[in-house]
Formats: sequence, C-alpha cells, structure tokens
Amino acid sequence: MNADAQQDFALAFLSILFEGAPFILLGTLISGFIDIYLPAGTMDRFLPKNRNLAILVSGLLGAVFPVCECAVVPVIRRLVGKGLPLGCALAYMLAAPIVNPITALSTWKAFQGQAPWAMTGGRMLLGYLIAVGVGLIVSRIAMHRVLRKSIADKVEADSAKKEHQHHDHDHSCCGHDHSHEKANDSRLIAAMRSAQKDFVDVGVYFTIGVAITALFNTGIAPGAIWLDSLAGNPAAAPAALMALAFILSLCSTSDAFIAATLAKFTWSAKLAFLVFGPMLDVKLIFLYQTVLRRKFILVMALSVFAFIWVVAVAWEIWFGKVVLP
Amino acid sequence: MGDMVRKGGAAMSPVIRRILFSLAVLLWAAVILYFYQSGRIVKYLAPDFRLIAMAGGLGLAVLGLFNLLTAFREADCGHDHGEGEEHDHEGSDMSPLASLILMTLPVGFSAMWTQDGFSQATLARKGLYEDAQPADTPFLASAFPAPTREEIENTHSKTADGYLQFSLMELFFATGDRELQDVMGGLQVEAEGRIVEEKNDNPNGTRMRLYRMFMTCCVADSRAIPIILEFGKEPPLLPDNGWVKVAGTMRFPEENGTLKAVLEVTRATAADVPPEEKFLRR
Repeated sequence: MNADAQQDFALAFLSILFEGAPFILLGTLISGFIDIYLPAGTMDRFLPKNRNLAILVSGLLGAVFPVCECAVVPVIRRLVGKGLPLGCALAYMLAAPIVNPITALSTWKAFQGQAPWAMTGGRMLLGYLIAVGVGLIVSRIAMHRVLRKSIADKVEADSAKKEHQHHDHDHSCCGHDHSHEKANDSRLIAAMRSAQKDFVDVGVYFTIGVAITALFNTGIAPGAIWLDSLAGNPAAAPAALMALAFILSLCSTSDAFIAATLAKFTWSAKLAFLVFGPMLDVKLIFLYQTVLRRKFILVMALSVFAFIWVVAVAWEIWFGKVVLP
Repeated sequence: MGDMVRKGGAAMSPVIRRILFSLAVLLWAAVILYFYQSGRIVKYLAPDFRLIAMAGGLGLAVLGLFNLLTAFREADCGHDHGEGEEHDHEGSDMSPLASLILMTLPVGFSAMWTQDGFSQATLARKGLYEDAQPADTPFLASAFPAPTREEIENTHSKTADGYLQFSLMELFFATGDRELQDVMGGLQVEAEGRIVEEKNDNPNGTRMRLYRMFMTCCVADSRAIPIILEFGKEPPLLPDNGWVKVAGTMRFPEENGTLKAVLEVTRATAADVPPEEKFLRR
C-alpha cells in the first residue's frame, strides 16, 4: 500500500469505526445485562399458546430483547435446548437483529438525508416478514431436519423427561433465580464482563468488515471498480450488495453506516444489503452450525437470498425512480 | 472449526482473557476520545455524530477500566445453568490474543497513517470530476418548485461589491434542475471552496475546479461537490487544494452533451480554512 492509499484507507476506516462503535457498545451493554439479569425462561412466558400467533409474536421480541445477530445465536441455542418451539426460535433469531430499537435508531441515523424513515421502516418490515415466513415453514418441518442431531436428541429427551417429571424443581432448568443471597455487585461484574466479551466478539468482525469496506470505499480493493460498475444495474446491484453483506459480516447495529456510504447503489440494493446481512453472513454460517444442520442452513440461505432479490428488483422497477433517492 | 477456536479461547486463564479484552476496549476508547478532544473528529464525522462518538468513547473507557480493575475478582451471574452446560458468560469464539490483535492493529495503524483528508485519486473517485446528474426524482421535484429570483435575493446575503453569497451545493445541484438554471443563470455570485486543477475539457488552460466535500454521516460517505471556474485567461497562482473565495457570473452551458455549472470568475482570493468542513444536506 503506498502512502496515498494508507492515508485514504485510514481516514475511511476510522470514520466508519467512530460512527459505529457507540452503537455496538450500546447493543452489547444491553445484551450483557440481559445475559446475567434475565432468567432463561422469561421469553417462553411472553408467547401465546397458539403456534402461528406465537411465531408472529416471536418476530417482534427483538423490540423487547434487543440483541444483534452475534448474540442471538447463543441465546437461541439455549432457548431451543429449554424447549422454545423451533419456529418461534428461528423467527426470533432472524428478526431480532433487525426488528429492534437499536438497529432502528442506527439505520435512521445513518440514512439522514437518504429517506431515513423509508429505509428504517422498509428494513424492519421486510426483515420481519422473512423471519416470520421462515418460522412458519420451519414449524411444519420435523425437528431432526432442522436442528443438529445432538440438540434435537437433547430437546426430545428433555421433552420426554418433562412429561414424567412435571417440574421437579431441581433448579437446573427452571431458569429463574435461586440465589437471592448473591451480592448485586457480583452480578454487575458478571454483566460488565459479559458485555465486554460481546463487544470484543462483535468488534473483531466489525473491524474486519470496516477494513474491507474502507478498501472498497477508497478504491484500493481489487474489484471495487467492478462492484461500482454493477451499481446501476437493477438486477445485479441487489445481488452484489447481498454478496458484499455476506462477506463483510457486519453487525446489524452498525451495518447501516456502511450501507449509507455505498453512494452509487440504488435504495433497494441498500435495503437488500441491510436485510440479508443480519440474517446470513460468513460469521453467521459458523455460528448457525452450532444449532442448525448444514443442509438446512444452505436451503435457508438460498431461499432468503432469492426472496430479498425478487423484492429489491421489483421495488426498483416499479417504485425506485419515483419516490426515493 | 468453530469448536477448535472455542477451545483455543477457553484454554486461556479467565483473568488474562479479561485483561486482554479490557486493553482492546481501552485502546478503542483512547483513540476515539483523542480524536474528539483534539478536534480532529470534525474531519471524520458530521456534527450529529460527534457527541455520540464522544459518549461511546467514554462508555468504552468505563467498560474497559471497570473490567480491568475487577479482573481478579470472583463474580457470580446469580443463576443456575442446565446440566452439562458450560457456566461461562465470557467464553469467546476466538482466541483472546487473536481478538486483541485484530481489534487493535488496524485501529493503531490507521491512527498513525491518517492525515485527515483523502488523496486526489480518492477525491476523483468520490466525484471531484463528475457533473451533477439531472434530477431523477420527478415526484419530489414537482412538489418543490424552484424559487423566484426575488426569493433568491431575499434569502442570500450580498458582499460589499454586490455578489450574492451561495454555497457550492446550491450551484452544483442547479445543474440538475432546468428551472433553477433559468433563475440562477447570469446571477452574480460568490462561493467558497477548495481549488484544484481542471482535468476535463480544458484545452486552453483557462479553467480550474472549485469543490467541497459533502458529508452526510461520516467522511467515508462524503461526495465531492464541484463546479468549474472559467477565468478566460491563465488562472492566478493559488495554492493547490487551498481554500479560496471566488466571485463572478454563473452560467449553465451544455458542453459535449452535458450541462455544466460554470462560474465565470472576476475575482479569486485565497481564504482562511473554515473551522470545519461541515457541509450537510439539511
């Protein structure tokens, strides 16, 4: 890298980092405190008994329990293990990183001057619909075709055990607090440690994503010009930005700041970037494998990609030039 | 692979892991707070984001320091875990050392490399030599009709020698709006910006280019907003990429099939660097 390239990279890299870091901090502080202070069974109690209704509600739980996509996978893994219906778990897993107040705030802030309300609302709505759609489909599929064998076996074993031992209150799985004597400051330390761990986990992927983005933003990365050449193509642009979102693996709390910098791309291509990225990216492929079967992940990835692409292309053809920048 | 890195991360002592994580967080805090405190943040972020960045830097400092100072203390999360589950709220998918390196090296090198501005090559990539495109939002354009000449004169202050003071953005975007061109064409205006060599259609060497950066959130999303300066003779010697105030008559000629924003210059003087390059859409 020559001196000019170093200077350009550094400026773009730091500016995006300064912009996104506070939002990551906010998200990880909340997730850290949820991790320690929120009993594990709380979410189950929020859900209606009706299966379909429960999935619809699960898609909105991110508004109450805001977590980014990195934090949501371990949560889901634990909740599925404790018997949360699979359709609800997947609807929450896919929707929570998008349909939550932190992501809404960061998207709105990042798109100031670029139809912020439309982008924020469009992102929430499309993310919610896809998440709920996946949840409804998954609720009709056998658990063994979706979950990793070890987890599916454990869920079935736990389920059988529950039928015979109706809440034996052994304090190992009821999820609520039996340690009232424990000092509050001890839990505060645990919460801050959990928040810091989440921040570092997300921060690493964010740094990599910002570095790659800065290379593309300043034209240093090979392929940056090729990527720009696709920007005006209504069919190729959403696909290209979804592929970029997959590679960049950004956090949903801060990816809007990067999408907003892709000035040459259309509004709908940016929307595709913002909806697809939190649902599927390189890091999530690894994280999802801790819960889901590889074959299911592949099918889900391709289906979500195709659906978002169709919506983005249709939007661009019918509305793109009329209402939005 | 995921299991391998998880085991790699878990193998390290929790205390060392906490210290490494705290150092990574504190470095981010230090860099953000330094740029804020030194005032250099104005080159990176739009005004709305600067206080947020400062709050984020302070928050990171509190998080990092808190965890560093309590790294040796025992802490209990206060709830029980299921049989066979790891009772660990700090385990990471990646080795703590790798996390520290990945979080600190790019930030550290960038803080050393940055000169708070883009090179000419990147400015060109960000539109320095591009002209405004015709408005492609007819719905919005029709909702906001162009102002009259009287309205323009009432809303812009005049210099002592009679030029209306315009921002570059107004002059630039008028290129994409036929109604605005009709109103603004022939106006005596003054504008401020950076002056650079004109590389397009300048066979006689009488032209220069005036630009400013147009930042929405951060400098990575900024775009150059340029107009052409026509001196009609050899341009005066002014510092390359330096700040200038220019005054003259505004024209919107069509050249090679493209509408251009051209200021026929009658006066050009070096200007002080403004306190910040705030140049927002709103």
